[in-house]
Amino acid sequence: MRYLFILFLACQQLGFAQQTLLIDAYGHYNSTGVKRQITDAFLYGGLIDSSHIQTSLSRLGARNTFGLNMGLNAQWQTPWLLSKDTDKWGSSYRLVMGAGVHQYGGIQFSKDLFGLVFQGGLPYLSDTLDLSGLKVEATTFTKIGFGLVNHLTQSSFLVHFVGVQNHLSAFMNAATWYQNASTAQIDLALNGQAQINASNTMAYGLALDLDYRFGSAEYDEAPQQFQLLVQNFGIARAKQTTEYSLDGALQYAGYSLAAWQQTSLDELATGFLDSLGYEKNSAQKWIFLPAQIQLAKVCDWERPNRIEAYYGAQFILRQTYIPFVYAGAHFKVKKAWQTGVGMAYGGFGGLRAQAYSAIRFKRSQLLLRSDNIALQNGASLYLQFRCDF
Amino acid sequence: MRLFIFLIVSTFFFSSCKKEATRWHSDWLLPVLKDTLSLSNYYNDSTLSITGSQININLSRTLLDLGLSDLIEIPDTSISQQYQANFTVSNVSPGFTFVNSLKNHELDLGDIQLKEVRVQSGQVELKVYNPLNTAVLYQIELPGVSQNGQVFVQNYTAAAGSVQNPTVAIETINLSGYDIDLSGQQGLEFNQIQSKLTLKTDPNGQTVTIYNNQIFKFEAAFKNLRFDYAKGYFGSTLIANQQQFSLPYLDKITSGSIALPDLNLSLQVENGFKMAVRAQIAQMVSTNTQGQAVELTAPSIGPSMFLAAAMGTWNNLQPSSLTLQFDANNSNVKDYLENLGAYHNITYQLQPNPWGNTSAGHDEAFAHSRLRLKVSAQMPMALNADGLTLQDTFDIDLSQDLNKSHITGATLLLDATNAFPVACDIVLYLMKDGQVAHTIIADAQLAASTLGQLDPLDGLLKKKSKIKIVLPPSVVADLQDLNQVAVSASFSTTDPQTGLATQQAIQANAFLALQIQMQLQTQIRP
Repeated sequence: MRYLFILFLACQQLGFAQQTLLIDAYGHYNSTGVKRQITDAFLYGGLIDSSHIQTSLSRLGARNTFGLNMGLNAQWQTPWLLSKDTDKWGSSYRLVMGAGVHQYGGIQFSKDLFGLVFQGGLPYLSDTLDLSGLKVEATTFTKIGFGLVNHLTQSSFLVHFVGVQNHLSAFMNAATWYQNASTAQIDLALNGQAQINASNTMAYGLALDLDYRFGSAEYDEAPQQFQLLVQNFGIARAKQTTEYSLDGALQYAGYSLAAWQQTSLDELATGFLDSLGYEKNSAQKWIFLPAQIQLAKVCDWERPNRIEAYYGAQFILRQTYIPFVYAGAHFKVKKAWQTGVGMAYGGFGGLRAQAYSAIRFKRSQLLLRSDNIALQNGASLYLQFRCDF
Repeated sequence: MRLFIFLIVSTFFFSSCKKEATRWHSDWLLPVLKDTLSLSNYYNDSTLSITGSQININLSRTLLDLGLSDLIEIPDTSISQQYQANFTVSNVSPGFTFVNSLKNHELDLGDIQLKEVRVQSGQVELKVYNPLNTAVLYQIELPGVSQNGQVFVQNYTAAAGSVQNPTVAIETINLSGYDIDLSGQQGLEFNQIQSKLTLKTDPNGQTVTIYNNQIFKFEAAFKNLRFDYAKGYFGSTLIANQQQFSLPYLDKITSGSIALPDLNLSLQVENGFKMAVRAQIAQMVSTNTQGQAVELTAPSIGPSMFLAAAMGTWNNLQPSSLTLQFDANNSNVKDYLENLGAYHNITYQLQPNPWGNTSAGHDEAFAHSRLRLKVSAQMPMALNADGLTLQDTFDIDLSQDLNKSHITGATLLLDATNAFPVACDIVLYLMKDGQVAHTIIADAQLAASTLGQLDPLDGLLKKKSKIKIVLPPSVVADLQDLNQVAVSASFSTTDPQTGLATQQAIQANAFLALQIQMQLQTQIRP
C-alpha cells in the first residue's frame, strides 16, 4: 500500500509538475583553407576534382587546420525537487538526467603534406616537402548521467559516466620528404608518435557538465546575464592503448636485381619500417576528453530593447582547436521570433559570418544557428529544442 | 511537434547516407630497380679473363667427376656368428667361458677383389641375442678391423632371456677412420672379414644349464660404408653412361642467330687411380630450342682412349691425363657452339683395368683420387648477334580491387647506360590463358655502346638510353584479367655505319647500368 502511494505521488508529479526536455544537436566542419567541396567528398562521397585540390592548395598557408565537431545532447529536467520546503535551498533544484554522443576530429597539417597526399609525389620532384607539425586528434564517446538544475537561473551541474569508443592522437614532430627528379630516390625522415584506441578496446571514465548563469542583479537598469558552459570535462581510462612511434630516416632508390629475387615484399616492407625506427607498444593510458568551455553573454528574451549585442568565446581542450570567438547583433523581430547575425573566428577556420534564429511557441522553443552561413570552407549547424511541459 | 521530430530524424538519416566512395587521383614516381650488370663476377674464376682491353672466354668446367666411392662400393652387408651346444651342459657355474671361435665371412663384391680399405664414413650395427636364463657377457672381436693398431673389440652384457624370447642388445658404432684388412688370416685372400665371439656366463649369477636348443648369436650389419683408401683389384666393370646438361638462358632463345670467332675447345680426361682406365666419348650432341641438333664430329670422338695408372701415393699422387683438342681444323666445334644448344648430351664409357688384373691386386685409390672429364675453351669474347631473341614467360597476378585504392595507369621508365656492343629491343606480351591480349612495345631501343662516345674516365664506349613502356589506362584496367606476361628481348650487334649485324668484341669492364622507375597514376580511396 505504501508503494502504491509513492507511485501515485510520482505519477502526480510527472503529470502536473513542471518538467523540461532539452535537445542539442550540432555539427560543424571547417578548415582554414581546404575547399568545402573536398570535405564534402569525405562526408557525402564522390570524386574530388583536381581543380578543387589545386584551388585549396593555393589558399593554404604553411600551417592549416581542418576539423569536425558533432554531437547530440539530450537532457530531461525532471519535476522532482530536492526539497519541497521553499525555505530550503534545495527547493530551487530539480533532478536532471542527461545523455549524449560526441565526436571530435581535428587535424593540423602543412601545405606540403596536403599536396603530397592529394597530388602524389610526382609534382614535387626535387622539392623538399615539410611534413612536420602534423597533429591528428579524434575522439568519439557517449555519456549518460544525472545532476541538478536550478529552475530559477537555469544553472545546472551533471556528472556523466563516459564510454570512449574511438580515440586517436598522433603527432609528427619532424618529417621531410624529398624525391630526386633524375634518380627518383626518396629521402624520408620521420619523427612522430601515435596513440590509438580502437572500438574493440573501450575506455571508461567520468565527465562533468556545468552550466553556470551569472550576471548583474535583475533590478539593474540594464542587467547583463552570462553563461559559463563547461561540457565533457573529464577523463577516461583505456586498458589497452596501442602506441606507435617512428624515429628514423629512409633512403630508397630501388633495389638490385638480386634483392628483388631474394627478398619478399613483406621483408622489404619490414626493412623500410626498421629504417624508420618503427616501434609498437601497448599500455594503459588516460584519455582526456575534448572538454568544451564556453563563456557567452545571454540575450534576454524578455528585454524591451529591439537590438542588443551578443558575444562569446569557446575553447575545446584540443591542440587542433583554435579558440573560437564570436560577436554580433541580436534582433527582436517579433515577440515570438528573435534573430541575430554576427561574425565568428577560430575553431577550425578563419573569419566567417554567423546567424541564428529562435522561435518561441507556447511551451517550446526552437533555436537554429549556423556559424558559417556562407559555407566558407565548411558548414555549421546548431539546433536546440526546448520543451516545457 | 510530430512534424518537427520527423524532420529531424529524416535529416539525420539522409545526411548520413554515403552515395559513393570518396576518391581522388594522384601521381607518383617510384624507384624500382637500380643495378649495374657486369661480367666482373666472372673474371678470373675459370670463365673469363681480361687481356688489355679485350675479354677472353677462358672457360673451364668439369663435366664428370668420379671418386673412390663412386667406383668401389660395398653394399650394406650383414655378418652373423652363433653358438649352439651339441648337447645339454648341466651345472654351468657362474663366470664360465663356454665358446671362443673365429669365423671368416666373404663379402660379395662382384669382380672387385679388395685387400684393404679405410673407412671414410659408415657404421656397424651390432646385435646380440641371449636365450640363457642368466646374464651373459658377449665379447665381439673383428680381428681385421682396427684403428690406430687397436683391434675392434666390443663387450656387451645381455640380461637373462629364454629360447622363446631371447634378450636382444643393440648398439651402433661409427666406423669412420677404421682400417679393414680383407686379406684373410694368411694375408693372401681378398674380400674376407673375420669375427670372433666369446661368451661368458654372469660371474655373479646362478649356476645354469645350457640346452642344445639355445642359440647364442651376434649380428653385425655394415651400413653406408664409404672409403678414402682402397687396395686390391678394382675390377673391370664397364661404366657406360649418358650425361645431360643444359645451359641457362639458351632455352629462352626463340629466333635469331649468332656467329662466334674461331675458338679452341679441349676435353681432358684425368685418372687419379692407380689402375689403367679405358675412356671413350661416344657422342656429343647439342640441341637448340628450335629442335635443331648438331653432333660434334672429330677424330677423337668415338675411338677408345687408354689412360695409364696414376703415380705416387697419398701426398704425391700424380694423375695421368689425356687431352683431346677440337678446333676449326679438326672438328665442327664452331657450328656446334653457334647452334646455341640449350641441351647437351654426352655419351661416354669408362672401364677400369681394361686388360684385367695386371697389377696382381695392387690397384690403389686414395681420398683425393678422381676420374675427371673436363672441358675448356678459349676464345675472344666477341659475337655477331642478328635479332637474337630471348623470350621468357612469367605468371603474373596483377588483380586490383577497384573498390579500394588502385592504379589507373602506369609507365615504366628505363634509364640505361650500356657499355656492351649489343642493342636490345623490348616487347611485352600481356596474356590471358596463353592468348596475347595486349602487346606493349617500348618507345625506343636500348642502344648499343657502338653508337655512343668514349668516356675518357674509364676508356669505355658508352651509350645512354631512355626507354618508356607505357601501360595506358585501358591496359591497366585489363590487368586483373591477365595471368601471364612474356618479355621478349631482341639483341643485335649492328654496325653503326652499315646498319648490318657485325661481329663486335666485348670491352673489358663492360657494364649495363639500369635504373627502372615506375610512374603511376592512382586513384586513392581512403
